[in-house]
Amino acid sequence: MIQEKEMILKVNQISKSFGVRIAVDNLSLEIPEGSVFGFLGPNGSGKSTTIRMMTDLIRPDSGEVFIQGMSVQKNHQKALSNVGAFIERADFYKHLSAKTNLEILARMDGKGYDQIPIVLERVGLSNRANDKVKHYSQGMRQRLGIAQALLAQPKLLILDEPTNGLDPQGMKEVRDLIKELSNEGITIFISSHLLDEVQKICSHVAIIFEGKLITSGKMDTLLSESELFTTEVRVDPIDKAISILEPLDWIMKCEERNGVLFINASPKKTSELITILVQNGCAVDAIIPKTSLEDIYLSKTGTNGN
Amino acid sequence: MGIDLIGLIHNELLKITGRWRSYIGFIGIAILMPLILWGFSYGGGEIHDEYASELGSNFLVVGSIFNAFLATYIVMNAFWIHMPFLVTLAAGDAVAAEGAAGTFRIILTRSTSRIQILFAKLFATWIYTALLILFLAFMSLGIGSLWLGSGDLIVFDKGILILDQSEAWIRMALSFGLAILVMCVVATLCFMFSTMVNNGIGPIVGAIFLIVIGYIIMAIPIDLFESMEPYIFVTYFDVWQQAFKDPIPWDRIIKSLSILAVYTVGFIGISVAVFLKRDIKS
Repeated sequence: MIQEKEMILKVNQISKSFGVRIAVDNLSLEIPEGSVFGFLGPNGSGKSTTIRMMTDLIRPDSGEVFIQGMSVQKNHQKALSNVGAFIERADFYKHLSAKTNLEILARMDGKGYDQIPIVLERVGLSNRANDKVKHYSQGMRQRLGIAQALLAQPKLLILDEPTNGLDPQGMKEVRDLIKELSNEGITIFISSHLLDEVQKICSHVAIIFEGKLITSGKMDTLLSESELFTTEVRVDPIDKAISILEPLDWIMKCEERNGVLFINASPKKTSELITILVQNGCAVDAIIPKTSLEDIYLSKTGTNGN
Repeated sequence: MGIDLIGLIHNELLKITGRWRSYIGFIGIAILMPLILWGFSYGGGEIHDEYASELGSNFLVVGSIFNAFLATYIVMNAFWIHMPFLVTLAAGDAVAAEGAAGTFRIILTRSTSRIQILFAKLFATWIYTALLILFLAFMSLGIGSLWLGSGDLIVFDKGILILDQSEAWIRMALSFGLAILVMCVVATLCFMFSTMVNNGIGPIVGAIFLIVIGYIIMAIPIDLFESMEPYIFVTYFDVWQQAFKDPIPWDRIIKSLSILAVYTVGFIGISVAVFLKRDIKS
């Protein structure tokens, strides 16, 4: 478990079943204040159910969720008073304008009227504020979804698949916005299928599978400690390099593919690796760390095509 | 930070006014009432003669016998069975429409409790119901007064009851007031079903089905059904007619309203229990 900072969100052993199907099984999470926390898992792994339990849309069979120390289940109003949520799809009152939709939500929050033009500006919808939402494109609705989540100036932003339906430019804008919000000190909990996006923006990550937590921690730690850490080395002569490296006990795997050497070893050994190769007369052209979140995700969830 | 119920009700009224289905009742009344009034005006002679023959030469009636009051009284009797259909059009959508549209995900994740949201929706539904009945009153009494004129109200109820014009206004106000309360019971019944599903049609069908069952039980003269009548809420739907009796049977009105209130509290209780426990999966 993560210990370094105060936890803004604690998921404490929550479970939820629908009939005989266990959607979430005794799941615990801790989200540090100020982090950008990626929440990953394949379809049907219980991500959405977990997020809905965090936001009190679904009642857990057991366990509890705490936001800033307050139970979401027992003290909904206070616990969610500093939370902005965007869950799955951006659905609004389509017959009303974006501005009226936000006014409805500001009335519910009892605050945020003054934020309406600001959040609309922030997501680039100022010039369409008075248009009915039914005339919005999917991408615009998605941005309005983020705007409504920002309305109450939250300390914790929960985003479930926020880039769904967005084009690459829109995705980049959301990514930039998330970085911007994070720099402002807002904690962001984000669920996404786009592992590359998550790796780019998240400081922490958790992976769930079949309703259970598989792994959780700092992104850097997770990537560097992974046994799957692969380094791509462009070296000459390659056969000599293989013969030097293979006998070393800290080299887990060493193979040549298309004239490039792929080595599985701890990233802490990278400098030692270079030294050995150079001292043995091998010319090292490039060393590229290759391990991605996707590798870890596929390995942990067993969904790498098997 | 303070969440006020008035603001939440305002929200709900905005949603109601944004749905085309909410206008069906008003449009229906706006089209039907002038037609009915025109029909009364065109064929009023026959009704006038019928009433005049019943009254014989023993009564002196001020104004026209066939006036806005009588037209309204006849319209209320005729409309009574159908008003629940119009009332449920908004009540059916009150909660269910949020599920269908997926908007629960944005409103229930805010710092407003479910109970506040539910009661705001209920109050807005009642306001809509009251406005619909008041619109019927306006169209029948208001437009009717301009079209047919006013005068004394003659009601045949175990004899002839003639209410002078000023008394007729009071009785009409009382009658429409009672009608609003009865229709709020219908709206609450439909609202209760609306908390259980994600489409607005189911609650309408459910509420109307229960009301029709009630009417059937009342209409069939067998001992079992007759013994059930005092416990069926539909039995008390005609409480508005008590406003046209002389003297006004307040004890019967209070009893009817009390029983309807018990049903209403029951419907609200079920709505609360269902809505608070409901998982939002859509």
